[in-house]
Amino acid sequence: MYNIVKKMIQHGTVTVEYPKKNTKSTYITGIPEFDYSKCTRCGKCISACPTGAVVTVDKDGEKEKLPAVNADECIFCKFCEEACSNQAVRLSNNFELAQKSRDLLRAAPLYVRDEEISGTDYELIGKKLNEKVGKKFGRSLNIREVDAGSCNGCDYEIQALNGPYNDIERFGIHFVASPRHADMLLVTGCVSRNMEEALVKTYNATPSPKLVVAVGACACSGGLFKDSYAGRNGIDTILPVDVYIPGCPPRPQALIYGILKAIGRL
Amino acid sequence: MVSEAIFDTINRLLSTHVLESRLINENEVYFCISSSTVKEDCINVYKNIECVLVDLFANDTTPIDNKLTVYYTFAVRSSNTLVTLYSKLENDGSVRIDSIALDVPAASLYEREIHDMYGKDFNGCPDSRELVHHGNFPLNVHPLRKDFKTNKHIPFQQRDLEFATITGKGVFEVPVGPVHAGIIEPGHFRFSVAGEPIINLEAKLYYVHRGLEKLCENQHYMKALLFSERISGDETFTNSLAFCQAIEKLNGITYIPERAAYSRVIFAELERICGHLGDISGLCVDTAYIFPSGQLGMMRRWIQLLNEQLTGSRFLRNTNKPGGLRRDFIRNNEKIILECINKLDKEFKETVSVIKNNGMFIDRVEHTGILENSIAVDLNVVGPAGRASGVKTDVRKEFPYAAYSKLKFNIPEHGNCDVNCRMNVKIEEVMESVNIIKQVLGKMPEEGPVSVDIGNLKPYSYGFGMTESPRGENIHFVMTGENNTIFRYKVRTPSFCNWPALCHAVNTNTLTDFPLINKSFNLSYAGNDL
Repeated sequence: MYNIVKKMIQHGTVTVEYPKKNTKSTYITGIPEFDYSKCTRCGKCISACPTGAVVTVDKDGEKEKLPAVNADECIFCKFCEEACSNQAVRLSNNFELAQKSRDLLRAAPLYVRDEEISGTDYELIGKKLNEKVGKKFGRSLNIREVDAGSCNGCDYEIQALNGPYNDIERFGIHFVASPRHADMLLVTGCVSRNMEEALVKTYNATPSPKLVVAVGACACSGGLFKDSYAGRNGIDTILPVDVYIPGCPPRPQALIYGILKAIGRL
Repeated sequence: MVSEAIFDTINRLLSTHVLESRLINENEVYFCISSSTVKEDCINVYKNIECVLVDLFANDTTPIDNKLTVYYTFAVRSSNTLVTLYSKLENDGSVRIDSIALDVPAASLYEREIHDMYGKDFNGCPDSRELVHHGNFPLNVHPLRKDFKTNKHIPFQQRDLEFATITGKGVFEVPVGPVHAGIIEPGHFRFSVAGEPIINLEAKLYYVHRGLEKLCENQHYMKALLFSERISGDETFTNSLAFCQAIEKLNGITYIPERAAYSRVIFAELERICGHLGDISGLCVDTAYIFPSGQLGMMRRWIQLLNEQLTGSRFLRNTNKPGGLRRDFIRNNEKIILECINKLDKEFKETVSVIKNNGMFIDRVEHTGILENSIAVDLNVVGPAGRASGVKTDVRKEFPYAAYSKLKFNIPEHGNCDVNCRMNVKIEEVMESVNIIKQVLGKMPEEGPVSVDIGNLKPYSYGFGMTESPRGENIHFVMTGENNTIFRYKVRTPSFCNWPALCHAVNTNTLTDFPLINKSFNLSYAGNDL
């Protein structure tokens, strides 16, 4: 007992102050950013990208198409940065990337194959609910995490939210054991074939109004595991998603940013 | 060379059965045998040479010779040699080979996997249920065959899953999962219990099967490297290291710069410390002992922060590449590594003494979840779980890679086989890892390159990459195709070996001790399911 008290005094509170104070460190890996004044339009970054996240888009006042990155597909592998001979693309420190719509994450408009959508009517319901949800969940939120085919990187980062450094309970948010108790589903992974049924059942077991947050590149777009026989291209192919948190895996602060955004506290 | 002696011995042992034999990549011996004598020869090697079955997989070699090749890989741990017997079968399924699972128990799961992925049946297989597919896959579709398109849309089917049923007065079943109460990965557990004690546990896994091996096929090796980093998030570095070593080996690169080799050791050990701290912290959470869990969580975060400072990734992603490292991550950072490690060393020892002085905690973990040595040997249980059950094996000693042969370290040895023992092994390994990192920082050359150019890959060459991940022995087989692509990437993580052992370890324990026993193994679902 004496040792425990000693340790408690020694370390005090270790919780980081994010989001009250910004986490600004040079070593955080964030979304790639382009410096168009250095770009020669060689296209090396586009061919180097393993997930097809780097695309060419029209920019205002430019004749040529310019490269840009779709944040929902980016897995932060730095291949574009290494391929570029002019240092026109660099991975920035910006990790606060979560958005309520997938199109806001993307530089190029989303092309969706019709046969993969099975939840269009859910989406309409979800939109209506969304307006009410912010008010209801503003102060306290119960989260159920569902792994639907991730590599467990995202799950470890979610686990870290409960740790002493990030301590998500200070926001009135905690993780619960059953979807029956949950207001929000935090879903990771690309939705593997074998988890599809379980994910839909978990969603149906969660009482309405409910929020779904897609965590990680796999959950946002399929990421590296896109177009596999054993999985789908992201959570929004079967469930309506309220907030997308890109990253591979997203750091705990990025998760806090996304969760707070989902309940309208940012 | 010891490998040569083994090569000669097996050649003599199998004599006329050997159709072709080769010794390549310094320590890998390959013997081609006829499909009719597979069982006889495998058992002959298994019984007469001191070895264990570490991998059994198939490879659809239709584009090369219109055959289906089945590989049986045995590791001779005492002399750094991998023995592979392979047999070429007709692709039409007319030839069936005999199952070796009754004589080599570890083979059973591999055979079921081959059945699902290639449609190859084994005669006399003791367990012929589906492993990878969950009754939603059409019976005649096999994903790893070359005529199967990766992005093919397959209709859903509905077949019931089979579980072993145990009947008797007062025996009932408790199904758990796939969505669990904690923040963990999905898996289904079916307990048969009589009152509190567990009589039988069956684990149905493969909920996170993402088709990783198929997705790597025909991809550039640098993209396959990214896949290898995403096999299991908390084993990112060791998995990518095993892949890189396989690529280096098959391309004939025997020397990587010393600075790269030492850097790899540092990262591999940081990952081990991080994994073990998480495991011990989890054990404390499962016994509702929150204080040390917070302490260990804090230390884990120190290491993750160090990882991020060094490489920009908390999980050591984007660090490795075939031929060395992506960048010189250690340069100018030696001081912060040493500071962090010294801080951790002191704090960890103090926290461990707090944990071990709590009688109630020790009471929970002692004599819980006993995995007997004979079971561990039969199932080839690896890593800390194996070492706690008297299977003294460590790839770092037996198949030394990177710079491990130049370093001094001990392998913890324990024989009590329970949760406490597995925890002690992990605690001692953290301390060894701290020592290893300190040694490396002293020995590492100050200047020098951190990567060599590996050039173009030789088409249709193959090799194994082995590493000791935090969970144990990790074996990756890579066969290259044309134009720097991957033809076959077979991943066998330690989790695959250890899952069946967990099911044995929980027997006779109470149901409430299951989370504790599960955490003491802390196996990766993603690493098993791929």
